[in-house]
Amino acid sequence: MSVKTYELTKYFNKLCAVDHINLEIGNESFGLLGPNGAGKTTTVLILTTLLKPGTGDAYVCGYDVVKEAKKVRNVISYVPQDMAVDIKLTGRENVLLFAKLYGVADRKKKVDEVLELMGLSERADDRVNSYSGGMRRRLELAQALVHEPQVLFLDEPTLGLDVSARRKMWEHISSLKKKGVTIFITTHYMDEADKFCDRVAIIDRGKIVAMDSPAKLKNSIGKDVITASVSGEFKGLNIEGITFLGREIDNIKFTAESGSEALPLLSEALSRQGLKVHSLSVREPSLDDVFLQKVGTQEEQGSFDDYKFRTLLRRRK
Amino acid sequence: MKGVQYYFERDLKRWIRSKRAVFASLVMPAAWLIFVGLALPIRFTNNYLDFITPGILVMTMLFASMQGGTLLIFDKILGFLNKFLALPVPRESILFGKILFITFRGLLQSTVILGMAVLLGVKINYFATIPLTYLVLFIFGILFSAIATTIALLVDDYETYAAINSMASMPLFFTSSALMPYEVMPHWLRIIASLNPVSYAIDTVRTLFSGTFLLNGITVLIAMSLVVLMISVYVFRRATV
Repeated sequence: MSVKTYELTKYFNKLCAVDHINLEIGNESFGLLGPNGAGKTTTVLILTTLLKPGTGDAYVCGYDVVKEAKKVRNVISYVPQDMAVDIKLTGRENVLLFAKLYGVADRKKKVDEVLELMGLSERADDRVNSYSGGMRRRLELAQALVHEPQVLFLDEPTLGLDVSARRKMWEHISSLKKKGVTIFITTHYMDEADKFCDRVAIIDRGKIVAMDSPAKLKNSIGKDVITASVSGEFKGLNIEGITFLGREIDNIKFTAESGSEALPLLSEALSRQGLKVHSLSVREPSLDDVFLQKVGTQEEQGSFDDYKFRTLLRRRK
Repeated sequence: MKGVQYYFERDLKRWIRSKRAVFASLVMPAAWLIFVGLALPIRFTNNYLDFITPGILVMTMLFASMQGGTLLIFDKILGFLNKFLALPVPRESILFGKILFITFRGLLQSTVILGMAVLLGVKINYFATIPLTYLVLFIFGILFSAIATTIALLVDDYETYAAINSMASMPLFFTSSALMPYEVMPHWLRIIASLNPVSYAIDTVRTLFSGTFLLNGITVLIAMSLVVLMISVYVFRRATV
């Protein structure tokens, strides 16, 4: 078992950030999904020994994160969401620093190897201030990989990256999984987790509300998802075989076993309520729909982290 | 121990590569030396430049050390600290690496100031003055960079740190024996100045320049440094678990 938690709980004053979480993660890529403030980062901080749990236990590769913290740090790598690389140093120097700190044997060779693996060899001797956001992220992955961790923790690895950088990042993450590294990812991009994670857990207000493979989670809510774009007040409806999933502003979502049969029924029922139906569409369920069903739409929680925001802005240059 | 060295090297490389910062850090002490040491019309002593040079050397160290806390603040804000804390290397290496680097950087700046002072005519008559001056500055630097990093661990943002820094550094300097001998100070200032740790360093360096060695001053500085280092480690451990 790479990661195991038992009734893991963490309070910040009265706010319960992590609420009796039980996880069992083997050698797989595991995604922890949820909105901002749901407790994703808190969970990762506890697992990476950066934060003491309140109650409950957590083990990484069999080591207790509190009592055997140093052993845990020997087998993991952690990439926080902040994108912290030294811009005045070259890419190679950044990775070399971590190789030294990890006490990697034969570090020159190993550094070359991970830079190559992340596709940074050509730019390795340039200072990082000339790197794009995607390259900086990959540099952080290179730093994390230089000591061959058994478990890699990635907190929002694609935050702030453009589409192509994001895709590239995921390709790299997938290739690591093939090499046998257990990957623990937090993200709020459902589509990415759907594509790249073996299993996902949805966390909301500190609680795990669903956990399974993306395919099984999607199947669990029905075969088809119908989205009705309407204006007017929706009063709810009761048609056999059609389940109300949730509402996102003017889009009402339903699930049904057969979307094409449900469409005319829905259209009629909604019109009868006096709603103006602008469009109806049928598609396969996504993790977003699962999320909508388990959690519902929600306000952003937690205080706005204005330092993080400014830090991100500063780096956009 | 190795960890301390690696963290030290990281900060050193980053500092050397910001040439403007290196230059700018030398301007203020140099300006003090030249404008106050040479141009001030009021003279508290016969050769004021000789008198003020130890004060400016210690001031360089004081300001460099207090400024150094920003390194840790930014490591904290930008996420470096969390990355480092998740590494298997002993966590305290981060703290000791910082304190050593800040002190070392202060010593480099002091060296430039010392060189300038000699060019301006300050005479160093005894060979032992120089290594012993460095020793005093080093201990003083450890003391104040430990204070600075402790403050940096306790506050969350740069603005607060900068405010505390400027609130503390200037008064510490002005209430020390840097600018005038104890004899000409008003009574109340004399009391404050004789308690101020900055004065201990200045008085010790000043006596070194005149050829004697004040064991008292250096003993007090060492004792203070050890106490502050222990507090610093305690705060660090509490802040990082």
